[in-house]
Amino acid sequence: MSTFLPCGTYHETYAQDHAFWQTRFIRGKMILLALVAFIAVPFFLTDYLSEFILFIYWSLGALGVQLLIGYCGQLTLGHAAFLAVGAYASFLIMAMPWPQFMLDMGVVYPLVLLISGVIAGIWCVIFGLPSARVKGFYLILTTMAAQFITVDFFIAKYISQIGGRQQDLTLSSDLVKFGPWTVDTKRDIYYFGLILTILMGFMVVNYIRSKPGRAWVAIRDNDIAAESMGINITLYKLQAFFVSGFIGGVTGAFWGASRNIISVEDFTFGKSLWLVGIILIGGVGSIHGVFFGAAFMVFMIWALQEIVGMVGGTGNIIYYKEIAFGLAICGFLLFEPNGLAYRWWQSKNYFNLWPFSY
Amino acid sequence: MRQDDKSSQRRIEITRELTIPKLFLEQTRHYGREKVAMREKEFGIWRPITWRDYYERVKYIALGMVKLGLEPGDKVSMIGDNRPEGLWGEMGALCAGGVGVWLFQDSLMEEVKYIINHSDTTFLVGEGQEEVDKAIAIIDDCPRLKKVIWDDPKGMRNYDQDYLISLQEVMELGRRLDAEQPDLFEKLATQGHGDDVALLFYTSGTTSLPKGVLLSHWNMLSMGKNLMAVDPRYDTDDYVSYLPFAWIGEQMMSISCGLQRGYTLNFPEEPETAQENIREIGPHVMFAPPRMYEQMTRTVQVKYLDSGWIKRKCYEMAAKIGYHNADLKFKKKPIPWHWRALGWLAEMGVHKKLKDHLGLSRVCHAYTGGAAMGPDHFRFFHAMGVNLKQIYGQTEIGGISIVHRDGDIKFDTVGLPIPETEVTITEEGEIMAKSPSVFLGYYKNPEATEETLQDGWLASGDRGFIDDDGHLVVFDRSKDVMTLSDGRPFSPQYLETRLKFSPYIRDSWVIGDKRPYVTAVVCIDYSVVGNWADEKKLTYTSYPELSQKTEVYDLVERQVAQANKDLPESARIAKFVNLYKEFDADDDELTRTRKLRRAFVSERYKDILEALYGERDMVHIDTTITYEDGRKSHIKTDLKIRKLL
Repeated sequence: MSTFLPCGTYHETYAQDHAFWQTRFIRGKMILLALVAFIAVPFFLTDYLSEFILFIYWSLGALGVQLLIGYCGQLTLGHAAFLAVGAYASFLIMAMPWPQFMLDMGVVYPLVLLISGVIAGIWCVIFGLPSARVKGFYLILTTMAAQFITVDFFIAKYISQIGGRQQDLTLSSDLVKFGPWTVDTKRDIYYFGLILTILMGFMVVNYIRSKPGRAWVAIRDNDIAAESMGINITLYKLQAFFVSGFIGGVTGAFWGASRNIISVEDFTFGKSLWLVGIILIGGVGSIHGVFFGAAFMVFMIWALQEIVGMVGGTGNIIYYKEIAFGLAICGFLLFEPNGLAYRWWQSKNYFNLWPFSY
Repeated sequence: MRQDDKSSQRRIEITRELTIPKLFLEQTRHYGREKVAMREKEFGIWRPITWRDYYERVKYIALGMVKLGLEPGDKVSMIGDNRPEGLWGEMGALCAGGVGVWLFQDSLMEEVKYIINHSDTTFLVGEGQEEVDKAIAIIDDCPRLKKVIWDDPKGMRNYDQDYLISLQEVMELGRRLDAEQPDLFEKLATQGHGDDVALLFYTSGTTSLPKGVLLSHWNMLSMGKNLMAVDPRYDTDDYVSYLPFAWIGEQMMSISCGLQRGYTLNFPEEPETAQENIREIGPHVMFAPPRMYEQMTRTVQVKYLDSGWIKRKCYEMAAKIGYHNADLKFKKKPIPWHWRALGWLAEMGVHKKLKDHLGLSRVCHAYTGGAAMGPDHFRFFHAMGVNLKQIYGQTEIGGISIVHRDGDIKFDTVGLPIPETEVTITEEGEIMAKSPSVFLGYYKNPEATEETLQDGWLASGDRGFIDDDGHLVVFDRSKDVMTLSDGRPFSPQYLETRLKFSPYIRDSWVIGDKRPYVTAVVCIDYSVVGNWADEKKLTYTSYPELSQKTEVYDLVERQVAQANKDLPESARIAKFVNLYKEFDADDDELTRTRKLRRAFVSERYKDILEALYGERDMVHIDTTITYEDGRKSHIKTDLKIRKLL
């Protein structure tokens, strides 16, 4: 799926060849997208901000899963655990006795965000270690183990008991500060998530188009061939686990910051499945797919709520949600196994090849 | 298209004193490191070479050749694909006072040997192993050949003949000589005169052995100047050099115009990727023989047939609008505003994208020359909005004497003479031309020179006339013009180009001189007809088999009937036969520039010829063909003859 460039676009250096937005048309589209994301949504679609925040949350979470499954080929069914690690780490570290001047300067939260990402990354590497030896179903089992050991055992039994406040940890929203900017309104949270998504997105894209990314793709396509080509597959697999865990941790921290309260209920096994479902629907092995999948999820839940509301349903959306989710995945696997990203690519191609078919 | 503010850019005065090396020095000094002189696609990127790099390489190559014993006036032959090194070799030879000779890269051993010996070549600059192998095979028969220079090291490790030397080594020798005598290069490059011989071209004779055309610096440069007086070019333009340098048209664009104006030359990665690479660059100017445009047309037609319903309908509508507007333009009638609006819609909806696919979106001037182009092709490109113009000329006149002017294009003419050029028609109808670019003479062939050069007038050997608008109409080669059964003169080329507008027909040979009716030998396009047959679920294993299928005959018959439309009764093709092979330059059926060698094919296929004018409906072929690598294959087949009602 190489990009289609118009006639007269040529590159004299490899840097140009790998540049992000190469034509005026694409740059124009990007500016438009930025305008929508930074201005139109937070100021004109305020009624739907919660949905957009949810969209960002799912996108961020699925980004890490996409990297691991879609690019490195390491199946994971326990990613919610790393989100949980990030979220709990951020809350706990935030609760430490930081000097007041640091809190006032608003340097603590950025630091905490980074640290919780790293902790989640390391945690992910620990559970990624078996990937050096096992693959496929066996690796799925070890990642599921990560889910149950982390969330249902460590966090539920011990971590969430810290402070003795039943099960939930809370974080005062005025502590979430970046310099002078306190993230407390919905719009602030939206911006926080948006910037985070952009940063993480760039990070992943840059990883993928550089040496580690190429190694990951090689491992995904054929690990034996990759190893015989001189790629240290253990090292690169663990690196993928780290980066993926890092993104997961940051996502968890963002989730916590967005609602100021976390509980083990937020990081169930079901959530891990949803994250994989997003990339299945969006398209495995595509960054676009993450966003398409997340958008589809959010839209689906929103539409369900509307429909259930209209027909005067019992109001307990949760069952319909699970049913619709299962059906959606079945449908996609049957009719669009390459996901929405592929459909997107195809429809773009329809016009790129105009007036021909190839 | 850019406006006139650019035309105030610097113009170089072309004087009789000026030579290509002098111009080269001036241009490299002017542009220096600031501007890219050429690009070559390598490993996925267009590696730029600035004028300064160009200068240094040419300097060291020239000095290296001098060190190896090149004397002024010595011939240096170049062979290989289009690549910067080839051009450096040519420029180096010219700067050292030598004369450049280009060979077609697909020339067979015999042709290489003939040209090397006839031109007294002392140095051969080849590309890589393939060319070196050719040189090794012939070197014993070429006593004057001293050194063979190669530049692509692939496969060259085990060659240790002492007459072989790499371009790197030549440049190293040059570098050392430069250290000893730092002003030698300037001295060498500035010593020539415009009337000295610059290039020796071997014309791809349709009738006889190739003749060596001597062209001076003045010929080359004045030709470029006069062409650009008609269609100004700018130094910001891009040009893709992918056609053989042994063809005058490529020298015209790369050297005569390119060096004068300083636009960037782009070399494709491989000959096979040329089309794709052209699309990437999107050149501003293009000059190609009709077959390149015919190929583009065929691509469009085939892809159109394969696309979906909506896309097909859109294309059809846009084409209809395009043809309507183009025809108005040809007739020089104003286009009414509603057609203008529709034209804009067609452009935005379809044609823009179409040009993008073909790599023509930035083209300001596209030229075709070297052979006849059918009116259908011409209309096709104008309907799309491509400013395609005909160039008429011979190698003997630097490649060009006549060209269409913008906004004054008639698809049945070749246009008006370029500045400083006069054209007249003799009583016999032969086209005569006179310009500063008329060649010096044929090398070692005074009789032919005398025949062709008459008091400074060049006898073209083409029949034609000048129409009411002053446009030259080229009928055909004088010796090819045929007389129909009703005594009318007729050009077989015209019918052949009409046939070629069909995507299914690649080549054709129309016969009918002093015969009761007109017939044609048709070569189907293997890939297009093959695809068509796949869709129709016809099985075939080879070209000969496919060409003889009844369904394929039906298909070709429809194409012939289409070409026959609007023709006088006596000029219509009455019978045709599908040939069992495509015409090939390696079999001497075509020249290297893909012109049909009629005398040769009528000799070779006289059985078919007889059968076409006999009563039989079948002709038996029993022949042996020799492949390039010496393998022989026996062909025994029956060709059907199809009569049109």
